[in-house]
Amino acid sequence: MKFIIERFDGKKSYEQTYTVEKKDIEALTLLSVLLLIKQTQDVTLNFTASCRCAICGACGVRVNGHAYIACDSKMTELFEEYKDTDTFRIAPLANFKVISDLVVDWEPAMENLRKIKPALVAKSEFSVKEGCRQNQEEFDRIIKQWDCILCGVCASECNKLSADNSDYMEPFVFTHAWRAANDSRSKDPMIHVKPSVTNGLWNCVHCQECANRCPKHISSADDIASLRALAMRKGLNSGVGPAHAKSFYTDLVEDSGRLNEIRLALRTEGVSTALRAGTAITLMGAGKMNPLEIFGGHTIEGHKDLVKMIEAAHAANKE
Amino acid sequence: MQKEFAFFPGCVLTQAAIEAKMSIEAIAPILGITLKEINGWSCCGASQAQDVDPLATLVANARNLALAEKMNLPVLTTCSTCLLMLRRAKAQLDNGQKERINTFLAKGNMNYQGTSEVTSLLWLLAQNVEEIKAKVKKPLSNLKVAVFYGCHSVRPEKDLGFESSVNPTSFETVVKALGAQVVPFEKRLDCCGFHAVYPAEKSVMKMTSGIVNSAAKSEAHCVVTPCPLCQMQLDIYQADAQDTTKSKARVPILHLSQLVGLALGIPAKKLGLDYNVIDTSKLG
Repeated sequence: MKFIIERFDGKKSYEQTYTVEKKDIEALTLLSVLLLIKQTQDVTLNFTASCRCAICGACGVRVNGHAYIACDSKMTELFEEYKDTDTFRIAPLANFKVISDLVVDWEPAMENLRKIKPALVAKSEFSVKEGCRQNQEEFDRIIKQWDCILCGVCASECNKLSADNSDYMEPFVFTHAWRAANDSRSKDPMIHVKPSVTNGLWNCVHCQECANRCPKHISSADDIASLRALAMRKGLNSGVGPAHAKSFYTDLVEDSGRLNEIRLALRTEGVSTALRAGTAITLMGAGKMNPLEIFGGHTIEGHKDLVKMIEAAHAANKE
Repeated sequence: MQKEFAFFPGCVLTQAAIEAKMSIEAIAPILGITLKEINGWSCCGASQAQDVDPLATLVANARNLALAEKMNLPVLTTCSTCLLMLRRAKAQLDNGQKERINTFLAKGNMNYQGTSEVTSLLWLLAQNVEEIKAKVKKPLSNLKVAVFYGCHSVRPEKDLGFESSVNPTSFETVVKALGAQVVPFEKRLDCCGFHAVYPAEKSVMKMTSGIVNSAAKSEAHCVVTPCPLCQMQLDIYQADAQDTTKSKARVPILHLSQLVGLALGIPAKKLGLDYNVIDTSKLG
């Protein structure tokens, strides 16, 4: 079978095809296949790898357009996933600058990680002598996010980063911000939340690729949602993103119980916004929207009960 | 085939994607499916409300599911984001939250048990492809189709679980059963950007334009999607998106239910094809 590998020698990009016998690789991981190719066919093939047991996060690559960590991907699973294909296309992680073949430049992503201050800024009650203790329950709250091994798989698949990385950060950066902000020993969650907001927290496109591909089953998308809720609770609620999210909530709880596209546009950006007002006109022009719905719309049956249920949930949550 | 469902239209079908409601209601009786709309269903939160209040969103969806349970029917929706929100809520409820959330539902004399499964139109059709094939009256053999899954039809796989999220086949299977040609389409699993069209407009327009141009490059006559939110993004914003990238390509965007309707021989008007913003007149 064929492995078509994307290569880069510092100047030009090209594809190189390596042929291996299926029987020779069936029991291997993808990383072992790459090592086999390097050892037996082409010593110049470059990739990064270290621990071989899904802890160091160094061996992220793309297979047929989707990111994996090579050491944690059994070939039998890839055969199953891609229905016994006879060709795999191997490429470096997307949304990173390629240095050589499958090796990518991590420095810009690390620069973003520094922005959210991932290290613990401990409460003043802790001291060097006494340490920074937390109980099991407090630790369990952040244990999942501690599993992040900085492999870059989430960043590779992120549709927002692919469209424009200038106003967004790698999904794992938000996961680390969530972890630091929700650490019981942390002095002030806003140390981590504020730089998240100013560096694109509201620009996530909800594509769920990060949550889907993470080899440690962490959902950065959920962490982003949770950071947004935290930011709003702490008063960081100005701008289009918070207004947009709030308008859904307002329709659900305070209005009819259902979403109204025209009210949504007006609540999110105001009456004067040209593009969205144009969209509302397009919708009305196509006969899809009833302009009278701006003034209320039909309230769902049982809406009062829905509000009572939500109020009860809020009351219980406060206790 | 399960024939009767508690139908969860989702907000978009009541207004901005009225043609999706028209077309699913047109195809259902021909396919022998009865859709009973859930009385009093509320917005699922649309992958947004949880950013404000995750607990309220879970309560609202527990109530939606409990309403379907009262009907003793599985839930069917055609909106992929509703599908994801409802299935996530169900997973949370079935894995430890049921008792707590039921104390809140009790304020409206309701109770969630976990008896109604949640499925989508795409999955139902894919599971019953031979029956669909037998009902095709007007095979779409001259139609080249770019199938666009939409994120929440496949991702996250742990919440949706119907098929591989990196190599799904359900949609191609259904479209081929209708007699249409599925063209290779690079962006078939990409994100249309709908959920961030307000806060990240520039990026989203680029994403939308990339999908339309990819379909045009594949020489597709139309893009078809099971998700009405993707349809809305790719259709309503197409002209704006193409202007931002200075592209002249225009491709009609159909709902899955509209494509099925065409193959079943239903007139274009009944499928709401004149409500689509990009001209579909050459298709019907």
